[in-house]
Amino acid sequence: MLAVRNVSKVFGADADGYIALEGIDLQVSEGEFVCLLGPSGCGKSTLLNILAGFDQASEGSVDFEGAPVRGAGKDRVMFFQDAGAALLPWLSTEENVRFALRVRKMPKQQWPSIIDKYLAMVDLAEHRHKFPAQLSGGMRQRLQIARALAVEPKVLLMDEPFAALDALTRRRMHGFLLDIWQRTGKTIVFVTHDISEAVTLADRICVMSVGPGSRITEVIGVDLPRPRDLADPGAARLFKGVEALLTYEK
Amino acid sequence: MTEDTLPVSEPVRRSKTKFWSRHRGSLLFASSIIFAFAGWQFLSSFVFNPFLIPPPLVVFETMVPMVKNGEIFRHVAISLARVGVGFATGCAAAILLGVILGRIKLVNDLLDPVIELLRYLSPTAMIPIAVIWFGIGETSKYFLIFWGTFFIVLINTTAGVMRAPMIRQRAAECLGANELQIFLLVVIPSAAPYIVTGMRIAMASSFMSIIPAEILAADSGIGFLLQQSSVLLQTNRIFVALLTICVIGFIFDRLFRIAVDRMLSRYMSYIALT
Repeated sequence: MLAVRNVSKVFGADADGYIALEGIDLQVSEGEFVCLLGPSGCGKSTLLNILAGFDQASEGSVDFEGAPVRGAGKDRVMFFQDAGAALLPWLSTEENVRFALRVRKMPKQQWPSIIDKYLAMVDLAEHRHKFPAQLSGGMRQRLQIARALAVEPKVLLMDEPFAALDALTRRRMHGFLLDIWQRTGKTIVFVTHDISEAVTLADRICVMSVGPGSRITEVIGVDLPRPRDLADPGAARLFKGVEALLTYEK
Repeated sequence: MTEDTLPVSEPVRRSKTKFWSRHRGSLLFASSIIFAFAGWQFLSSFVFNPFLIPPPLVVFETMVPMVKNGEIFRHVAISLARVGVGFATGCAAAILLGVILGRIKLVNDLLDPVIELLRYLSPTAMIPIAVIWFGIGETSKYFLIFWGTFFIVLINTTAGVMRAPMIRQRAAECLGANELQIFLLVVIPSAAPYIVTGMRIAMASSFMSIIPAEILAADSGIGFLLQQSSVLLQTNRIFVALLTICVIGFIFDRLFRIAVDRMLSRYMSYIALT
């Protein structure tokens, strides 16, 4: 579904530019949950921005459903860590979803039912008239999920969406996301620097090395049953294994 | 004994504190003004020369006939009209140009140096040339207020548009918004707090710069009243004019805030969030 071939990204002029990514290869198939894992500064967000079409690869190709990615596409919705900035703070919960339907040019008579459906899915139905500033961090992220799902994308690109949440809320959000993923069958590319998050969520974990010249050093398939418990021997072993693969900035 | 007094005294005390907490702001405001006037009355009666600083009661005596025969309102109305026209056209032009500057980098790079130089020319500095260009009629006053308003609102608008969060624009973009929708539905509302703040500062500055303009080049308005009274050594009338300026400026700033609260509060309340 998403095919990344030999992608490199250089910021700045060629001679003294910073090489963020070098020779990235990645295939994501439909309905798959892929985690890009690496410490900060490894270029995972850069790669995600390229997948989203916000940024262009300096070299290599990125194809979505067989066609090269040019610009932000409506089938790939990006999902930001800072929900406060990503949402429209002057619109209520309900109006934020309506905004998405409006710019997506959905027929107007469908709006109420779509809004109801997705607000119910993320448990925000009773907060529909509140403004983002009145919602908690977790609620804002759920609103971001509802708004993204409302336009029925095929791929969700998630840039450390839960990194700013407290540990308990993050665990709840994991359950939430997995539930929605299993129900809707979306393809998810999820960027994180948290090993346990990757182990909890992913079908496949792509470990990225530290820049400059980051690459995907290892791809680990995870076939543990969900919901996963990190205390389980299998998950714990995986955690240790992944941890050993991570490199850090010198 | 205690059983008798408690139920009686408590509700009384509670209502007292309730009254205080509900009207705390306005009570403090009123007492601050009253104390200032009392102090002024005392100082001009017993310390300073009352001709140079007429006591408030004398100022009010002078004010009454000016209010009754409408003289003060005529001057106020003329000054307000000048501020109104200059401020409105200044804001409109500045917002229009500001969003362009904030959005199109090349235009900004080309115009920014000129703006950075011109904005140091206060409306007062422009009075001599404005009189030569437009005479001492209304146009020169409109121009001067326009001039003062324009740069303040322009700089704030440009900054607001430039600082519309990139994440918010990208989020809208991948939901399917086109360039125009991102601009109108995301960037402009994101810039609203900056624009409104600029307008508020510009309004205060308009009220300040109308006065020198009218002092130097007008035959009506509050500034003219000041100038005329000064020539005739009528300190009482000068103080009436000064008080009027304070009150008008204050009232209009409050009105502006109320209007913003009513119409734009949803755009203003989130500053803390991002």
